[in-house]
Amino acid sequence: MMGTCPARADWTTGEPALVITTCARCGDHWYLPRRHCPVCGSSQVQDVVAAGRGLCVALTVLHVTVDAGSGPLRMALIELDEGPVVLGRVHDEALAVGDRAAAQFRSDGRGGALVPSFARERAARGDATT
Amino acid sequence: MNASLTGVGVTSFGRQPGPDSVEWQAQAASLALADAGLDPDSIDSLITGYSTVAGHLMPANLLAEAFGIRPTVAFGMSVGGATGLAMLAQGARLVASGAARHVLVVAGENRASGQAREVSTRTLSQVGHPTYEVPLGGTVPAYYALLASRYLWTYGLSPSALASFPVQMRAHALRKPGAQFSTAITIDDVLASRPVAEPLRLLDCCPVSDGGAAFVISAAPTSERSLEIAGIGQAHLHQHLSALEPGGSGAGVAAQRALTEAGLSWQAVDVFGIYDSFSITVAMLLEEIGLVPPGRAGAYAQAGAFEVDGRFPMNTHGGLLSYGHCGVAGGMAHLAEVASQLRGERGVSQVGGCEVGYVHADGGVLSAHVGVVLRRRA
Repeated sequence: MMGTCPARADWTTGEPALVITTCARCGDHWYLPRRHCPVCGSSQVQDVVAAGRGLCVALTVLHVTVDAGSGPLRMALIELDEGPVVLGRVHDEALAVGDRAAAQFRSDGRGGALVPSFARERAARGDATT
Repeated sequence: MNASLTGVGVTSFGRQPGPDSVEWQAQAASLALADAGLDPDSIDSLITGYSTVAGHLMPANLLAEAFGIRPTVAFGMSVGGATGLAMLAQGARLVASGAARHVLVVAGENRASGQAREVSTRTLSQVGHPTYEVPLGGTVPAYYALLASRYLWTYGLSPSALASFPVQMRAHALRKPGAQFSTAITIDDVLASRPVAEPLRLLDCCPVSDGGAAFVISAAPTSERSLEIAGIGQAHLHQHLSALEPGGSGAGVAAQRALTEAGLSWQAVDVFGIYDSFSITVAMLLEEIGLVPPGRAGAYAQAGAFEVDGRFPMNTHGGLLSYGHCGVAGGMAHLAEVASQLRGERGVSQVGGCEVGYVHADGGVLSAHVGVVLRRRA
């Protein structure tokens, strides 16, 4: 495994969470672990657990997969309400680009790894019934 | 800049079993040296691109021994699809600084016939983040498909908006000997081809090829056919899809740096070579470098803007989509084609009044960008 940054307590280490990082100096925020803020270079950065909800901004159904024989895979980019964009699986065939989406954590990754997987967000507010 | 492109060499691309990576590299190197009118022993520096099939740690030393040269400087480079132009950039800086007289830049591999498709897919997917993207099962087509999905949604377009690019590239390839594909296709063919990573279909994706390409970069022209390397610009803003800013991948920054060094604007550029690993790649690059308005690249393609007699003649060899893609050499074929145009040697595909060309390559997921301005010597 390539050395990037110290592992953080999120889905990549088996914790059911999406973690983002914010810069204490300039307020920029991002998803992939970085030692320094890409905007201002500060090392005063802080991890924050994201709520796991946001807007689906891209979706693909992958037919030619890395592991031969595995069926089509759905993947999406979700723009979290906190700002950063995250890559995840999709377990809701009705999820479309432009929909609100919410994360669950499922053992659907390569080799049974825990991964974030998105579905349409259920109406959380009482008035949002259709 | 005091750097001349004195030789170019490109083999045919396609499924061509037999030669291994070093043999493709040697074939391309021989073509480039003959084109420059130079003997192998005049080369003092050798830069070689990685081959995913050979996977060797020292590709330049490997080639130097097999080719039979003893350069004073030799090194390999690895910047994904941008490697070919990045090697040219380093070669140009070596000769401009006086550290070298003749630099040979080479790439080639038997990626189509020497490597199983599953291995290619897995190897290339490693441009994804090792813990945050690869475990999700992503592949390079999947990453570009996500960019395509976001692009189409952002601009309210249907997948047919990108289908004119494969059709245009194929039309160019029909007039280019050595291209991998030689059958005309239509927009309906693109839309009816099998889905690879929706919304991208097979004909939206470049093939995997065997072949090689090489350049000679010299401190001074070797003939009237030598071209000036007038400007080079690079940008390396991110590696992974999850860190990419749409519209701000670095393509525009690299292009502007190249134009600034050349002291030119887009109005001066007559012919283009733009990296087209997928239909979406070339669309996003054209828009970010500012040649066409956001969301409109496909409409320009449909209107013939990238034809030989169009407003922006582009990839007149057929590009990665139809000339083919054998790794690092794939992105070098665009520059070789632009050089042939500037020399007035492209026959039926010759762009009229060609003085200045621009070539752009990207590596990874729009991660690494190199732009090069070539100019005919007055």
